Formats: sequence, structure tokens, C-alpha cells
Amino acid sequence: MNLRRTLAISRRIADLFRRDHRTLALMFMAPIVIMALLGWVIRDQAPTDTRVAIVNTAGAPGEVIGSHIGDTLTAAGLTYRADVTTQDAARQALIDNQLDVALVLSLNGQVPGIKFLTLGVNPTQDSGHVQAVQQAVRTALGDSGSSIAQESVYGTGDGDFFNAFSPALVGYLVYFLVFILTGISFLRERIGGTLERLLATPVRRSEIVVGYSLGFAIFATLQVALVLAYTLGSVHVAPIGPLPEINIGLGVPIAGSPALAFVITLLLAISAVNLGIFLSTFARTEFQILQFIPLVIIPQGLLSGIFWPVSSLPDILQPIAALMPMTYGIDGLREVLIRGSGLGDAAVQLDIAVLAGLSLFLAVAAVLTIRREVA
Amino acid sequence: MEQAAPAITARGLTKRFGDITAVDALDLELPAGRIYGLLGPNGSGKTTLIRLLVGLAKPTSGEARVLGVKMPDRENLARIGYMTQADGIYIELSVWENLRFFAALSGTGDRKAMDDVLSLVHLSERKTAPALNLSGGMRRRLSLACALVHRPSVLFLDEPTVGIDPALRVEFWKYFRELAAAGTTIVVSSHVMDEADRCDELLLMFHGKVLARGSGAEIRQQAGVDDMEGAFLKLGGGESEVAATAA
Repeated sequence: MNLRRTLAISRRIADLFRRDHRTLALMFMAPIVIMALLGWVIRDQAPTDTRVAIVNTAGAPGEVIGSHIGDTLTAAGLTYRADVTTQDAARQALIDNQLDVALVLSLNGQVPGIKFLTLGVNPTQDSGHVQAVQQAVRTALGDSGSSIAQESVYGTGDGDFFNAFSPALVGYLVYFLVFILTGISFLRERIGGTLERLLATPVRRSEIVVGYSLGFAIFATLQVALVLAYTLGSVHVAPIGPLPEINIGLGVPIAGSPALAFVITLLLAISAVNLGIFLSTFARTEFQILQFIPLVIIPQGLLSGIFWPVSSLPDILQPIAALMPMTYGIDGLREVLIRGSGLGDAAVQLDIAVLAGLSLFLAVAAVLTIRREVA
Repeated sequence: MEQAAPAITARGLTKRFGDITAVDALDLELPAGRIYGLLGPNGSGKTTLIRLLVGLAKPTSGEARVLGVKMPDRENLARIGYMTQADGIYIELSVWENLRFFAALSGTGDRKAMDDVLSLVHLSERKTAPALNLSGGMRRRLSLACALVHRPSVLFLDEPTVGIDPALRVEFWKYFRELAAAGTTIVVSSHVMDEADRCDELLLMFHGKVLARGSGAEIRQQAGVDDMEGAFLKLGGGESEVAATAA
């Protein structure tokens, strides 16, 4: 190995960073900004009250235990909803966002059974509430050997985080990949001279943006269909010779219409196309398009409600989350796939309307960045 | 010989980028059906002038008209062909797909015109090849084909023969001549001096101005020298520009 040649290559890399201040700044700033954002989001989440109801199905002994737990809950600062006493009422209260956890008491012989009933739309949120209640239950009952189970109104409620996360992940992955592909593709139009050439034909700028959206939408359609099919479906393959049996597909159970989920994901993908075109104006190289990942994609991952509900974000960050297409895509997908909402539900209508509006806004922004005058 | 209505006119055409004046109060009248050679060193304003005429840049002041229409004008671009200095082709697409795309944008889908233009640039055999697999010269030929495919009335060619071998260059010029005879107005920017004499008229550009205009013979006579290089150096009056030109 020749040291001089090796060092010449290292030096070239150093020169590259020296010349490309943006990359340099990003390399140092991006991890700090992301860590700061994460710290902010996780530490400064609005303290959310946990509203608990106790449903007794264990007769007289349950009354005693329930009242004891109720006192402990109140003493621990949780809101005890003594007015909700049946499973049906608890489920309705969960759906209406009047309740966070219902504690269902049962008696199996001499062993008290406890079931935590949650909504099941956002697993992180549910588990935070359940933890708070568990703490109180442990204080009330000690280690009494009671059996503990968990159930949710939506989803499988068996603690499979993936089931509840998968709608959000589908939306996020599609958005991310479509953004990167469009960004790079349009950047190449700008720097490769083809955009200049396109603009020397009678084509309108809006035709370019709509054409791009349609072209990418065809492939986004296939991508979304494939990702949804793989995530939601499951095919069992029997053992063949020495090969063990396998399941193809994740078999995530869903409550609502896959077609509606498809429409929402597609709208999300179209907003990613237009964002990609728009942001490609601010990049000169493919490398710089990738730099938008920590600026555009990661913050949306942190703020759009994938992990934490938008309502629990610090106050300053909530309006930012409200401007992100991902926020509505994730909410829409959860509404449809987990809650089973349809087109008639106001929440889904709002998500679709805002997503369409944001896509249109980004399309206009994208058109405005395509100028006949490049120089 | 006298002359049809002007295909290209410029009145006080000026383009400034900050403190730099790329095109400086240019007045031009270029009759149709001729080949105009735009000669000048790098940075003399040739490409900016072409971009103003095509409508890709807006003049700071003055106006440019192509085929009587004030530029920029989107619809008028259907009658204009423009071969950029960069190849401006999609390297992932095949030769034919590139051609079909630019033909469609200019509102034509004439297969025969596409076949004809491919045969002109000697790429018929490579019709299905991805542009990525073409040599530099072949990509240049494809770029020219894309500018010609909609049979424009005015053709702007920015350094069209760079990277093309001498035999094909001769053929290109033969074709340009045929196009001009059929009424097409062609503006070719170049700093290859031996191409100058193939033009009907030359415009020598320096610092955004046309310093000399005429046939090759007229320009040599004006400069009082026997060769184009000499005329170019003398009229340009700057050694540094010459060095840039030769590069």
C-alpha cells in the first residue's frame, strides 16, 4: 500500500467537505438536531392524564378489590371513572376518547384476574397508560399472583406492537422511497440539461409536474399494492423437501377497507412526488438530495404521530406536525386499518381532504420552481 | 442574394446577470432560410443569446422575435428546434424512446420523420440501444436528432459538432445545407473556425456584442488577413480570449 496515494485520496475527501459547506454543516448539525428533537419530543411530552374505569365481573370479592384499587388509583393521581362499570360502557368510553384504560376484574377460583382494556390505535400511547395503571395495581394488590391480560377495542390487543404500527410504517416507507426517487430523478432533469431541453418545447410547467405525478403514481400504485398485500396478507407454504414450512406475508389483521387505505397511501405518495420536485431546486447533486432525509423525512417520522400521538407533542411542535402530509396519512391509515373507519367518517374525510390539499399546494410549489429561466 | 422576411430579429436585446452584461443592446435581423454562424470565445454571450432567442431567458431590456413572435412564447416553441450544449438526453432510455419523447412534446408522432432523422444521424442500427451505451459522439448525434424530429422552421444549435468525427461532421453540414435550402433558418454557435466558411453569414461576438458580421470572405477582408483564426484574433483584439477560444 502506497501511503502517499492513500493520503491523496483521503485529502480529496477532506477537500470535498471543505468545498461543500452544506454537507459539512449537515454532517455535524443533523445528528444534534435529530437528537435534540427526539429529546424534546420524549421528555417534554404534555403530561397526559390517565383515565381509568374498573369493571367488576368477579362478584363480591371483586367489589372489595376494585374499591381498593380505585382508592390507590386516585391516590396515585390518576382519574378514576367510577361511573363506567360495564365492559360495553368502557368500550364506548374508550372509542369516544373519554377513557384510556378499563381494568376488568375477574376471579378464576381464588386467583384474581386483571385485564387491561385499551383502544389499540396507538400502542405507545396505550402502553404508557397501562404502565401507570399497573403501578397502582401493584401497589394495591402487592404480588398477589393475579393473572394479567391485555385486550384492545381495535386490533388484536395481544400486545403485538407490529400489528398496530404497521399502518404507520407502510405510509412512512412509501413516502420516504417515493420522495427520494422523485427528488433524484428531477434533480437529474435539472442538472443533466433535459429540463432545459423540455422547456424549449411547448410543454407547460404544470404538464411536467402532473406528468411526473402520474408517472410516479403508476409505480407508487404498484408499490403500495404490493406493500399492503405483503403486510396484510399471509400465505402458508407447506414444507417442501428439506425446506421448512414458511409464511409469506405478515398477516397483520385489519378492520377497514384495504382499498381506502390504498387511496390514502397513494395521496401520501403524490405529496411525496411534489415535495421531491420542489426540493430538488435546492440541491445541486444527488448527494444533496439525500441530505434532505434528516431535514424532511426524519422529523416527519418523529412528529407525525407514528410513535407518539401528535396531541402529546410539546406545544410548539404541534402546529409543525399539523403541516406535515405524513400526519394525515398516518392518522388516515390508522383510522381505516385499525379502527375500521370508512369514507363516511369525519376523521377519514378530514385526513383525505387535507392530504389532497397539501398535495395540491406542493404541486403548485413544484410548478413555481420550474422556471424557463434557469440561468 | 436577397432575402426573405427576417426569421429572427432583436431590438436592443440586453441580458445582465448582476454586474455582468452577457448580451449588450444587440440589434439583429436574420432573414430566413440561411445558416448563421455565431462565433466567439467562451463567455462572449453566444449561449445567452441563443437562450434569449429560444425564450429560456428573459431579456433585461429590449426584445427578441422569432418567426415574428416576441419571445418567450411557449406555443412558438413548436416551430423552434434547440440542441443544447449538454446532450440533454435521457441515458436510461433507448435511442428511439428519447426521440419519441421529444417528438411528443413538440406535438408530433410522425414515425417516418423519426426514422428519417435517425437515419440522418446514423443511429438507425442502434434504435433500441440505451443511450447509456452510446459513445459521446453518438449521444451528440441523438441530441441533434431530438432537436430535428419535429421539423422546426428555426433551428438553434449550440456547439453541435463537438465530439463528432470529421466524416459525420461533413454529413451534418450537408444536411444543414439541405434544411436551409428548404427554408429552415439555422443558427449555429461554434468556435471551430473551419466550420465558419460553411455558414452563409457569420456573427462574431465579443463581450455580448456582435463586432463583425458578414460572410467568411467579408470578415477576412475586413480584418485584412487570409484566415479565419487571424480575423478572429484581430477583430477580437485580445490574446486571452483567443486562448479561451482555442481551449
